[in-house]
Amino acid sequence: MTITHHPADDTLLRHATGALNAGLALVVEAHLTGCPQCRARVAGFEALGGALMEAEKLEPLAPAAFAEVLARLDEPPPVTTAPHVPRRAMLHLPPGMKLPDVLAGCDIGRWLWFGPGVRYSQVRLPWAPEANVMLLRVAANRGVVTHSHALHELTQILHGGYSDCTGSYGPGDMAEGDELLLHQPRADAEGCLCLAALEGGLRLGGWLGRLQRRLGQ
Amino acid sequence: MSAVDQPSPLDAAAQARLIGLVAAARDRQAFAALFKHFAPRLKAFHLRAGLSGGAAEELAQETMLMLWRKAESFDPARAGAATWVYTITRNLRIDQARRQRGPAPQLPEEEFSPSPEAITLESEQAARMREALAVLSGEQRRVIELSFFSDTPHAAIAQVLNLPLGTVKSRIRLALVRLRDALGAD
Ligand SMILES: [Zn+2]
Repeated sequence: MTITHHPADDTLLRHATGALNAGLALVVEAHLTGCPQCRARVAGFEALGGALMEAEKLEPLAPAAFAEVLARLDEPPPVTTAPHVPRRAMLHLPPGMKLPDVLAGCDIGRWLWFGPGVRYSQVRLPWAPEANVMLLRVAANRGVVTHSHALHELTQILHGGYSDCTGSYGPGDMAEGDELLLHQPRADAEGCLCLAALEGGLRLGGWLGRLQRRLGQ
Repeated sequence: MSAVDQPSPLDAAAQARLIGLVAAARDRQAFAALFKHFAPRLKAFHLRAGLSGGAAEELAQETMLMLWRKAESFDPARAGAATWVYTITRNLRIDQARRQRGPAPQLPEEEFSPSPEAITLESEQAARMREALAVLSGEQRRVIELSFFSDTPHAAIAQVLNLPLGTVKSRIRLALVRLRDALGAD
Protein backbone atom coordinates (compact mmCIF):
# COMPACT_ATOMS: atom_id res chain seq x y z
CA MET A 1 0.00 0.00 0.00
CA THR A 2 1.56 3.24 -1.13
CA ILE A 3 0.26 6.32 0.57
CA THR A 4 0.42 9.44 -1.55
CA HIS A 5 -2.00 11.79 0.22
CA HIS A 6 -1.30 12.70 3.84
CA PRO A 7 -2.97 15.05 6.31
CA ALA A 8 -1.64 18.62 6.18
CA ASP A 9 1.05 19.59 8.67
CA ASP A 10 -1.43 21.93 10.33
CA THR A 11 -3.76 19.02 10.92
CA LEU A 12 -1.04 16.78 12.36
CA LEU A 13 0.11 19.64 14.58
CA ARG A 14 -3.41 20.19 15.86
CA HIS A 15 -3.72 16.46 16.49
CA ALA A 16 -0.50 16.53 18.53
CA THR A 17 -1.76 19.45 20.61
CA GLY A 18 -5.11 17.78 21.27
CA ALA A 19 -6.99 20.55 19.49
CA LEU A 20 -8.83 18.46 16.90
CA ASN A 21 -12.39 17.53 17.75
CA ALA A 22 -12.97 13.87 18.61
CA GLY A 23 -14.29 12.94 15.16
CA LEU A 24 -11.39 14.46 13.22
CA ALA A 25 -8.94 12.97 15.73
CA LEU A 26 -10.41 9.51 15.15
CA VAL A 27 -10.00 9.78 11.38
CA VAL A 28 -6.42 11.04 11.81
CA GLU A 29 -5.75 8.02 14.07
CA ALA A 30 -7.07 5.76 11.32
CA HIS A 31 -4.53 7.33 8.96
CA LEU A 32 -1.67 7.12 11.48
CA THR A 33 -2.27 3.41 11.98
CA GLY A 34 -1.15 2.81 8.42
CA CYS A 35 1.32 5.65 7.93
CA PRO A 36 4.75 5.54 9.61
CA GLN A 37 5.68 8.85 7.99
CA CYS A 38 2.83 10.77 9.64
CA ARG A 39 3.39 8.92 12.94
CA ALA A 40 6.96 10.21 12.89
CA ARG A 41 5.67 13.69 12.12
CA VAL A 42 3.22 13.60 15.03
CA ALA A 43 5.99 12.26 17.27
CA GLY A 44 8.05 15.28 16.21
CA PHE A 45 5.25 17.67 17.12
CA GLU A 46 4.83 15.94 20.46
CA ALA A 47 8.57 16.41 21.03
CA LEU A 48 7.99 20.08 20.26
CA GLY A 49 5.27 20.13 22.91
CA GLY A 50 7.71 18.52 25.35
CA ALA A 51 10.37 21.09 24.48
CA LEU A 52 7.95 23.98 24.99
CA MET A 53 6.93 22.57 28.36
CA GLU A 54 10.59 22.14 29.34
CA ALA A 55 11.23 25.76 28.38
CA GLU A 56 8.48 27.05 30.66
CA LYS A 57 9.34 29.19 33.60
CA LEU A 58 8.58 27.58 36.95
CA GLU A 59 5.15 28.28 38.35
CA PRO A 60 5.22 27.29 42.03
CA LEU A 61 2.52 24.95 43.28
CA ALA A 62 0.82 25.31 46.64
CA PRO A 63 3.07 24.13 49.49
CA ALA A 64 0.82 21.12 50.12
CA ALA A 65 0.63 20.06 46.46
CA PHE A 66 3.43 17.51 46.62
CA ALA A 67 2.18 15.97 49.87
CA GLU A 68 -1.29 15.65 48.36
CA VAL A 69 0.03 13.70 45.42
CA LEU A 70 2.30 11.62 47.65
CA ALA A 71 -0.72 10.65 49.76
CA ARG A 72 -2.48 9.36 46.66
CA LEU A 73 0.35 7.25 45.23
CA ASP A 74 -0.89 4.05 46.84
CA GLU A 75 -4.51 4.59 45.90
CA PRO A 76 -5.74 2.05 43.42
CA PRO A 77 -6.30 3.64 40.02
CA PRO A 78 -9.89 4.85 39.67
CA VAL A 79 -12.28 2.11 38.67
CA THR A 80 -13.41 2.80 35.15
CA THR A 81 -17.13 2.63 34.63
CA ALA A 82 -18.44 -0.45 32.86
CA PRO A 83 -16.97 -0.39 29.38
CA HIS A 84 -19.31 0.60 26.64
CA VAL A 85 -20.45 -2.37 24.60
CA PRO A 86 -20.53 -1.05 21.06
CA ARG A 87 -23.65 -1.56 19.03
CA ARG A 88 -22.53 -2.68 15.62
CA ALA A 89 -24.73 -3.27 12.64
CA MET A 90 -23.72 -6.21 10.48
CA LEU A 91 -22.22 -4.15 7.72
CA HIS A 92 -21.76 -5.73 4.36
CA LEU A 93 -18.14 -4.97 3.54
CA PRO A 94 -16.06 -5.71 0.46
CA PRO A 95 -14.46 -9.18 0.64
CA GLY A 96 -11.29 -9.22 2.73
CA MET A 97 -11.86 -5.76 4.14
CA LYS A 98 -12.00 -5.09 7.85
CA LEU A 99 -12.81 -1.88 9.63
CA PRO A 100 -9.92 0.02 11.23
CA ASP A 101 -9.12 -0.80 14.85
CA VAL A 102 -9.78 2.79 15.90
CA LEU A 103 -13.50 2.09 15.41
CA ALA A 104 -13.42 -0.70 18.01
CA GLY A 105 -15.26 1.28 20.72
CA CYS A 106 -17.73 2.98 18.38
CA ASP A 107 -21.36 2.29 17.59
CA ILE A 108 -21.78 1.71 13.88
CA GLY A 109 -25.12 2.01 12.18
CA ARG A 110 -26.40 0.03 9.22
CA TRP A 111 -25.91 1.16 5.64
CA LEU A 112 -28.46 3.73 4.70
CA TRP A 113 -29.35 4.52 1.17
CA PHE A 114 -28.46 7.90 -0.16
CA GLY A 115 -29.12 7.74 -3.81
CA PRO A 116 -28.04 5.23 -6.43
CA GLY A 117 -24.68 3.72 -5.56
CA VAL A 118 -24.15 5.82 -2.45
CA ARG A 119 -24.62 4.57 1.12
CA TYR A 120 -23.56 5.83 4.49
CA SER A 121 -23.40 4.45 8.00
CA GLN A 122 -23.33 6.69 11.01
CA VAL A 123 -20.46 6.17 13.45
CA ARG A 124 -21.11 7.22 17.03
CA LEU A 125 -18.26 7.82 19.45
CA PRO A 126 -19.52 7.02 22.97
CA TRP A 127 -16.94 9.42 24.42
CA ALA A 128 -18.03 12.21 22.08
CA PRO A 129 -21.64 11.65 20.97
CA GLU A 130 -21.72 14.99 19.19
CA ALA A 131 -18.91 14.01 16.82
CA ASN A 132 -19.89 13.89 13.20
CA VAL A 133 -18.36 10.72 11.75
CA MET A 134 -19.55 8.32 9.10
CA LEU A 135 -18.57 5.50 6.81
CA LEU A 136 -19.33 6.31 3.22
CA ARG A 137 -19.54 3.80 0.40
CA VAL A 138 -19.72 4.68 -3.25
CA ALA A 139 -20.29 1.95 -5.84
CA ALA A 140 -17.84 1.17 -8.63
CA ASN A 141 -17.37 3.88 -11.23
CA ARG A 142 -20.04 5.99 -9.63
CA GLY A 143 -19.60 9.73 -9.45
CA VAL A 144 -20.80 12.07 -6.74
CA VAL A 145 -20.73 15.80 -6.45
CA THR A 146 -19.54 16.92 -3.08
CA HIS A 147 -19.95 20.54 -2.36
CA SER A 148 -18.63 21.00 1.12
CA HIS A 149 -19.22 23.95 3.37
CA ALA A 150 -17.67 22.33 6.41
CA LEU A 151 -14.80 24.21 8.03
CA HIS A 152 -12.65 21.13 7.96
CA GLU A 153 -13.41 17.72 6.58
CA LEU A 154 -11.18 14.64 6.69
CA THR A 155 -11.71 11.51 4.65
CA GLN A 156 -9.59 8.39 5.08
CA ILE A 157 -9.81 5.86 2.25
CA LEU A 158 -10.32 2.36 3.64
CA HIS A 159 -10.97 0.38 0.47
CA GLY A 160 -11.02 1.03 -3.25
CA GLY A 161 -10.49 4.62 -4.25
CA TYR A 162 -11.59 7.62 -6.23
CA SER A 163 -10.24 10.40 -8.40
CA ASP A 164 -11.06 14.06 -8.61
CA CYS A 165 -9.43 17.30 -9.66
CA THR A 166 -6.99 17.05 -6.73
CA GLY A 167 -5.68 13.60 -7.66
CA SER A 168 -6.24 9.89 -7.23
CA TYR A 169 -6.89 8.49 -3.77
CA GLY A 170 -6.39 4.88 -2.73
CA PRO A 171 -6.41 2.81 0.48
CA GLY A 172 -4.46 4.55 3.24
CA ASP A 173 -4.74 7.99 1.66
CA MET A 174 -6.35 10.88 3.42
CA ALA A 175 -8.25 13.65 1.66
CA GLU A 176 -8.68 17.01 3.32
CA GLY A 177 -11.32 19.48 2.36
CA ASP A 178 -12.46 22.84 3.58
CA GLU A 179 -15.11 25.35 2.70
CA LEU A 180 -13.29 26.17 -0.52
CA LEU A 181 -13.16 22.69 -1.98
CA LEU A 182 -15.65 21.88 -4.69
CA HIS A 183 -14.98 18.63 -6.44
CA GLN A 184 -16.55 15.78 -8.35
CA PRO A 185 -15.05 12.57 -7.07
CA ARG A 186 -15.54 9.44 -9.14
CA ALA A 187 -15.11 6.03 -7.53
CA ASP A 188 -12.73 3.65 -9.26
CA ALA A 189 -13.54 0.15 -10.54
CA GLU A 190 -13.54 -1.31 -7.02
CA GLY A 191 -15.80 1.36 -5.64
CA CYS A 192 -14.76 3.41 -2.64
CA LEU A 193 -15.28 2.97 1.07
CA CYS A 194 -14.06 5.69 3.39
CA LEU A 195 -14.25 7.06 6.92
CA ALA A 196 -15.10 10.74 7.11
CA ALA A 197 -15.41 13.36 9.82
CA LEU A 198 -16.32 17.02 9.94
CA GLU A 199 -15.38 19.93 12.10
CA GLY A 200 -18.02 22.14 13.53
CA GLY A 201 -21.53 21.50 14.68
CA LEU A 202 -22.95 20.62 11.29
CA ARG A 203 -25.60 17.95 11.39
CA LEU A 204 -25.25 14.77 9.43
CA GLY A 205 -28.30 15.64 7.39
CA GLY A 206 -26.87 19.04 6.64
CA TRP A 207 -23.73 17.54 5.24
CA LEU A 208 -25.40 14.79 3.30
CA GLY A 209 -27.86 17.34 2.09
CA ARG A 210 -24.96 18.83 0.18
CA LEU A 211 -23.77 15.52 -1.12
CA GLN A 212 -25.65 15.07 -4.33
CA ARG A 213 -25.48 12.19 -6.69
CA ARG A 214 -24.36 12.94 -10.12
CA LEU A 215 -26.49 11.80 -13.02
CA GLY A 216 -25.30 8.93 -15.12
CA GLN A 217 -22.53 6.46 -14.60
CA MET B 1 9.19 17.55 52.90
CA SER B 2 8.83 20.08 50.15
CA ALA B 3 9.76 19.23 46.61
CA VAL B 4 8.96 22.51 44.99
CA ASP B 5 10.98 25.13 46.80
CA GLN B 6 14.05 25.05 44.55
CA PRO B 7 14.19 24.89 40.79
CA SER B 8 16.27 21.93 39.72
CA PRO B 9 16.80 21.48 36.02
CA LEU B 10 17.23 17.83 35.19
CA ASP B 11 18.67 16.91 31.85
CA ALA B 12 16.85 14.44 29.63
CA ALA B 13 19.07 11.52 30.62
CA ALA B 14 18.46 12.17 34.33
CA GLN B 15 14.71 12.42 33.72
CA ALA B 16 14.70 9.07 31.93
CA ARG B 17 16.79 7.45 34.65
CA LEU B 18 14.43 8.69 37.39
CA ILE B 19 11.33 7.50 35.54
CA GLY B 20 13.07 4.14 35.21
CA LEU B 21 13.58 4.05 38.99
CA VAL B 22 9.90 4.79 39.58
CA ALA B 23 8.96 2.00 37.18
CA ALA B 24 11.38 -0.55 38.57
CA ALA B 25 11.33 0.18 42.30
CA ARG B 26 8.45 2.59 43.04
CA ASP B 27 11.23 4.90 44.15
CA ARG B 28 9.67 7.88 45.97
CA GLN B 29 12.90 9.87 46.07
CA ALA B 30 13.08 9.64 42.29
CA PHE B 31 9.43 10.64 42.09
CA ALA B 32 10.08 13.65 44.34
CA ALA B 33 12.85 14.83 42.02
CA LEU B 34 10.59 14.38 38.98
CA PHE B 35 7.78 16.26 40.71
CA LYS B 36 10.13 19.10 41.56
CA HIS B 37 11.19 19.35 37.95
CA PHE B 38 7.98 18.78 36.02
CA ALA B 39 5.10 19.96 38.22
CA PRO B 40 5.94 23.71 38.13
CA ARG B 41 6.53 23.53 34.38
CA LEU B 42 3.25 21.69 33.83
CA LYS B 43 1.40 24.28 35.87
CA ALA B 44 2.98 27.11 33.88
CA PHE B 45 2.20 25.32 30.61
CA HIS B 46 -1.49 24.96 31.46
CA LEU B 47 -1.74 28.49 32.83
CA ARG B 48 -0.43 29.73 29.51
CA ALA B 49 -3.00 27.54 27.76
CA GLY B 50 -5.71 29.47 29.56
CA LEU B 51 -6.55 27.32 32.56
CA SER B 52 -7.19 28.99 35.92
CA GLY B 53 -4.52 28.67 38.60
CA GLY B 54 -6.51 26.02 40.43
CA ALA B 55 -7.22 23.97 37.32
CA ALA B 56 -3.61 24.22 36.10
CA GLU B 57 -2.33 23.07 39.48
CA GLU B 58 -4.77 20.17 39.61
CA LEU B 59 -3.82 19.07 36.10
CA ALA B 60 -0.12 19.25 37.04
CA GLN B 61 -0.84 17.03 40.06
CA GLU B 62 -2.93 14.57 38.05
CA THR B 63 -0.19 14.38 35.44
CA MET B 64 2.39 13.51 38.09
CA LEU B 65 0.08 10.87 39.57
CA MET B 66 -0.34 9.38 36.10
CA LEU B 67 3.43 9.45 35.63
CA TRP B 68 3.71 7.33 38.80
CA ARG B 69 1.07 4.87 37.59
CA LYS B 70 2.27 4.59 34.01
CA ALA B 71 6.03 4.75 34.53
CA GLU B 72 6.42 1.20 33.18
CA SER B 73 5.08 2.29 29.82
CA PHE B 74 7.81 4.90 29.34
CA ASP B 75 10.12 3.75 26.57
CA PRO B 76 13.16 5.98 26.09
CA ALA B 77 13.61 4.54 22.60
CA ARG B 78 10.24 5.96 21.59
CA ALA B 79 10.25 9.45 23.02
CA GLY B 80 12.14 11.68 25.41
CA ALA B 81 10.89 11.99 28.98
CA ALA B 82 9.58 15.53 28.51
CA THR B 83 7.73 14.44 25.37
CA TRP B 84 6.19 11.52 27.23
CA VAL B 85 5.08 13.78 30.09
CA TYR B 86 3.66 16.20 27.53
CA THR B 87 1.54 13.44 25.94
CA ILE B 88 0.26 12.36 29.39
CA THR B 89 -0.83 15.86 30.28
CA ARG B 90 -2.34 16.47 26.84
CA ASN B 91 -4.38 13.26 27.07
CA LEU B 92 -5.55 14.16 30.57
CA ARG B 93 -6.66 17.53 29.31
CA ILE B 94 -8.59 15.95 26.43
CA ASP B 95 -10.20 13.44 28.83
CA GLN B 96 -11.07 16.22 31.24
CA ALA B 97 -12.83 18.15 28.49
CA ARG B 98 -14.83 15.04 27.60
CA ARG B 99 -15.46 13.76 31.11
CA GLN B 100 -18.96 15.16 31.34
CA ARG B 101 -19.93 13.43 28.15
CA GLY B 102 -18.78 9.85 28.54
CA PRO B 103 -15.95 7.40 29.20
CA ALA B 104 -12.43 8.15 28.07
CA PRO B 105 -11.52 6.89 24.62
CA GLN B 106 -9.13 4.05 24.04
CA LEU B 107 -6.00 5.74 22.79
CA PRO B 108 -4.62 3.48 20.09
CA GLU B 109 -1.45 5.56 19.80
CA GLU B 110 -0.17 3.81 22.92
CA GLU B 111 0.06 0.59 20.93
CA PHE B 112 2.10 1.96 18.09
CA SER B 113 5.52 0.52 17.74
CA PRO B 114 8.09 3.15 16.99
CA SER B 115 8.97 3.72 13.38
CA PRO B 116 12.68 3.99 12.66
CA GLU B 117 12.18 7.67 11.90
CA ALA B 118 10.56 8.28 15.27
CA ILE B 119 13.41 6.78 17.21
CA THR B 120 15.91 9.42 18.11
CA LEU B 121 18.14 9.51 21.09
CA GLU B 122 16.10 11.56 23.48
CA SER B 123 18.81 13.92 24.66
CA GLU B 124 19.87 14.53 21.09
CA GLN B 125 16.30 15.24 20.06
CA ALA B 126 15.70 17.59 22.97
CA ALA B 127 18.84 19.51 22.07
CA ARG B 128 17.87 19.72 18.41
CA MET B 129 14.41 20.91 19.36
CA ARG B 130 15.84 23.68 21.55
CA GLU B 131 18.12 24.77 18.73
CA ALA B 132 15.25 24.68 16.27
CA LEU B 133 13.09 26.82 18.52
CA ALA B 134 15.96 29.28 18.83
CA VAL B 135 16.20 29.83 15.06
CA LEU B 136 12.53 30.76 14.75
CA SER B 137 11.75 34.42 14.47
CA GLY B 138 9.77 35.94 17.33
CA GLU B 139 6.67 35.92 15.13
CA GLN B 140 7.10 32.29 14.17
CA ARG B 141 7.79 31.21 17.71
CA ARG B 142 4.65 33.03 18.78
CA VAL B 143 2.36 31.23 16.33
CA ILE B 144 3.86 27.87 17.25
CA GLU B 145 3.44 28.58 20.94
CA LEU B 146 -0.11 29.69 20.39
CA SER B 147 -0.78 26.44 18.52
CA PHE B 148 0.09 24.62 21.70
CA PHE B 149 -1.54 27.04 24.07
CA SER B 150 -4.98 27.50 22.60
CA ASP B 151 -7.76 25.03 21.96
CA THR B 152 -8.83 26.34 18.59
CA PRO B 153 -5.40 27.33 17.38
CA HIS B 154 -5.84 29.04 14.05
CA ALA B 155 -8.95 31.01 14.81
CA ALA B 156 -7.68 31.91 18.28
CA ILE B 157 -4.28 32.91 16.97
CA ALA B 158 -5.82 35.10 14.31
CA GLN B 159 -7.87 36.80 16.99
CA VAL B 160 -5.01 37.25 19.43
CA LEU B 161 -2.60 38.59 16.82
CA ASN B 162 -5.32 40.49 14.99
CA LEU B 163 -4.31 38.90 11.70
CA PRO B 164 -6.29 37.31 8.87
CA LEU B 165 -6.64 33.55 9.21
CA GLY B 166 -4.71 33.00 5.96
CA THR B 167 -1.71 34.94 7.29
CA VAL B 168 -1.70 32.87 10.46
CA LYS B 169 -1.85 29.63 8.46
CA SER B 170 1.04 30.66 6.22
CA ARG B 171 3.10 31.79 9.22
CA ILE B 172 2.57 28.42 10.87
CA ARG B 173 3.56 26.67 7.65
CA LEU B 174 6.77 28.73 7.44
CA ALA B 175 7.62 28.03 11.06
CA LEU B 176 7.03 24.32 10.48
CA VAL B 177 9.33 24.36 7.46
CA ARG B 178 12.07 25.82 9.65
CA LEU B 179 11.44 23.19 12.29
CA ARG B 180 11.44 20.38 9.75
CA ASP B 181 14.99 19.23 10.37
CA ALA B 182 14.50 19.06 14.10
CA LEU B 183 11.22 17.27 13.71
CA GLY B 184 12.96 14.33 12.12
CA ALA B 185 11.08 14.34 8.84
CA ASP B 186 12.52 14.38 5.41
ZN1 LIG C 1 0.49 9.92 6.25
